[in-house]
Amino acid sequence: MARSLRHLAQTTALVASAALMLAACGSTSSTAPSSTNKSTPLQTLTIGSSNVFPPTLNPTANASQAIDEVIDYNVLQHLVQLAPNGSIVPVLASSYTVSDANKVYTFTIRKGVTFSNGNPLTPADVVFSMKRVYAPGSTYPYGKIFDVSSVQQVGSDQVRVTLTNPSWNWLYDLAAYSNGVILDPSTVSTLATDPIGTGPFKVTGEVSNYSVSLARNNQYWGYQPHVSGVVFRYFSNADSLNAALQSGEVNMIDNLSAPSDATLFKSNPKYKVVSSLTNGKVQMTLNNTYGPLSNKLVRQAILFATDRKAIMNAASGGYGLIDGTDTVPADPYYINLASEYPYNVTKAKKLMAEAGYSKGFSLQLVLPPYFYAKLAAPLLVSELGAIGIKVSVSTIDFPLWISQVFEGGDFQATIIDQAEGRDVSNYGTTGYYWHYAKTPEIASELTAANAAPTKAQWIAGYQKVLKQITADAVNDWLYIAPFITVIDKNIVGIPTSAYTESYNLSYVGIGGTIPASAKQLGYLS
Amino acid sequence: MLLIAELPKASDVATRRRVHAHELQRFLIRRLATLLITLFLASVLVFWILNILPGKPAQVILGTQATPSAVAALTAKLGLNRPLVAQYLHWIHGLLTLHLGDSYISSQPIAPVIGAALEVTGPLILGGLLVGLLIAVPLGIASAIRHTKRSGVVLSGLAQVGIAIPNFVLGILLIIVFAVDLKVLPASGFTTWSTSVTGALQSLILPAISLGLVEGAILARYIRTSVVEVLGADFLRTARAKGLRPNQALIRHGLRNASIPVLTVLGLELSGLIIGAVVIEAVFTLPGLGSLLLSSVANRDLITVQDIVMLVAATVLVVNLIVDLLYRIIDPRMGLRS
Repeated sequence: MARSLRHLAQTTALVASAALMLAACGSTSSTAPSSTNKSTPLQTLTIGSSNVFPPTLNPTANASQAIDEVIDYNVLQHLVQLAPNGSIVPVLASSYTVSDANKVYTFTIRKGVTFSNGNPLTPADVVFSMKRVYAPGSTYPYGKIFDVSSVQQVGSDQVRVTLTNPSWNWLYDLAAYSNGVILDPSTVSTLATDPIGTGPFKVTGEVSNYSVSLARNNQYWGYQPHVSGVVFRYFSNADSLNAALQSGEVNMIDNLSAPSDATLFKSNPKYKVVSSLTNGKVQMTLNNTYGPLSNKLVRQAILFATDRKAIMNAASGGYGLIDGTDTVPADPYYINLASEYPYNVTKAKKLMAEAGYSKGFSLQLVLPPYFYAKLAAPLLVSELGAIGIKVSVSTIDFPLWISQVFEGGDFQATIIDQAEGRDVSNYGTTGYYWHYAKTPEIASELTAANAAPTKAQWIAGYQKVLKQITADAVNDWLYIAPFITVIDKNIVGIPTSAYTESYNLSYVGIGGTIPASAKQLGYLS
Repeated sequence: MLLIAELPKASDVATRRRVHAHELQRFLIRRLATLLITLFLASVLVFWILNILPGKPAQVILGTQATPSAVAALTAKLGLNRPLVAQYLHWIHGLLTLHLGDSYISSQPIAPVIGAALEVTGPLILGGLLVGLLIAVPLGIASAIRHTKRSGVVLSGLAQVGIAIPNFVLGILLIIVFAVDLKVLPASGFTTWSTSVTGALQSLILPAISLGLVEGAILARYIRTSVVEVLGADFLRTARAKGLRPNQALIRHGLRNASIPVLTVLGLELSGLIIGAVVIEAVFTLPGLGSLLLSSVANRDLITVQDIVMLVAATVLVVNLIVDLLYRIIDPRMGLRS
């Protein structure tokens, strides 16, 4: 009896295992994944993205940087754009002039440009697009910095923009943010799913929470990238993304979410690791109105007690740059103030005693759910613990962080990557969440600098502000966030820096070379 | 004679059938009413919890550089400044008329997005269930038959190991072996059914195994216990005494009885599979319902979250109802009154 039952069980188990094996093996014969097909000249580039899936494809209606990464510069273009080396280059404007002390900008619109639907680009389209930024009900995420009083067509091929106040930053903002995208007025209703632009690529499809596909725009007026199309595929799990690259399902990883994973690929000759910097200032933001933190000496003590090198090693695998203030090397007013607060526990303790906190105090550190914050926090807990500050840590999700910390100002300290470019103006913004006591003074310094007649004076004005906020130890600037791209070694033309919201693929190619001019602008050759 | 007189007449059987049908009808009505009340309570709870969550959709959409007036304008445009009751009624009215609404974030209709996600999650869960059953039935029966022997203990231990491995760890292990090293199956991702049916099936093999193995191990233990009990039951001994071979006795009389408790667990396991799918989809980057739910929570696309949670709740309740009916069909002794 028992024997035949055993036989029955064995047979069932065998059949089950065989079915599973067959299912697995059957899959190998038909479509084993292949990374590249060398027989065809143009291939599709599949990018494994560690970013979130773009919630919409309309960069004028949502602040998610994931939208700009795909759409901005690649599908929708600007009059002027940022090159990876930080310079501002004319794109849909063939040239431009600046007059009236940085208040009036006149753009000559490039001829022979068409949208991917065949409609020609006209100055009227440019006027429409720019007026849309500040029209009532505008949802442009950076609309508030678009300080424009009028936009008008001049002659047959020019557009003149007059600002409310003179600015040395306006052209940069126009190039850097979605405020600058030029739209075909007849297609704005489909921006969320099918944005039509003048760029080297057009959108061909998207699978929700999975991928966005772009095809080369054969009507493109400029250099044709050496790929037939680009697919952005999204991975919420770093291990899965690394495995997808290793198994050849994706050709590259746009940015390692855990920079220390670079060691997985660095020694493998199949891949190239390209590390660069972003505009992101990873900082421990201090609420300058919270009890002990309202004392400048305490904040300075915190900055002296912070071992930034150790934190950068832990949180970003040693990639990045320490410069100790709110600026990145691409800023024209860049200045490195890392030596202002060298790691010095003795000095920190002395300042704590001087401030009347020799016995320390307790501090709540609220973290957004990001790798860098979680990795940096334990070191800060121990380093601040060494000068008597008892830090307790909690983690919240990002919408809650925005609501509680950023909007409500209900926090003592947090760790965040301040990701916007040239954002020192935040220190002059009334009510900004760190509540810096000298905000009004900084605001007038910045206004004066922006109205300065020469670039040198503007730069001097901004550097003065940087020195001031650093001396006041408004925040604990930890390091500049890196951008670490891992590519199959035959990929060319990716940007070698990440100072833009966009991931500009205008020169990308699988195999081949890129023009010398592109190399000069900072695209990988 | 007396015995013959006591045999049921044909008319009695018909009456009993009528009574049974009537009872079945009443049972169904009662259960459906409970289901609707539960769904209503779930809808209130889901709506209330999501709407007291801090982090408002308009702020998330417009980001950190938005002015308060722009946030207020968008909140009004999305209809989120209306009283909560009005928002709830609007949503429920939509659900009842089969309009799932438009996403707050993308302004696109939600139904096609959920539909596309179900094309991944539905087959994944069914695949997980299939894998689970393929593992659980033979493993459960084999370890029951050998429960007094060393080999039975080993099989039982195997099931225990299966229960102890978290499905996402198993998923990563499978990716390393079958995708990275052997390159026989994709490491992640999904080929849509319309592109290639084979491709879609291939994309689901490793995820379904990761999902089903743990559930299979859990189920195997229930099957084992159930079969062990049945093996010792009097009716099986009687069946064997009638001259049936042991496997015939088990198949004809034993398995039906052993399956009753297992069926109950299977219903519960299905809820486990739905939750497990959320994790597995993240590991294998499948664009299913779980991924959609997670991203919708992160984006504060509350209406999409509400729709998905209600869909899952309704599915679980309906499955439980079906299971309830099934084990009453398998075992009429259960009756329809409880």
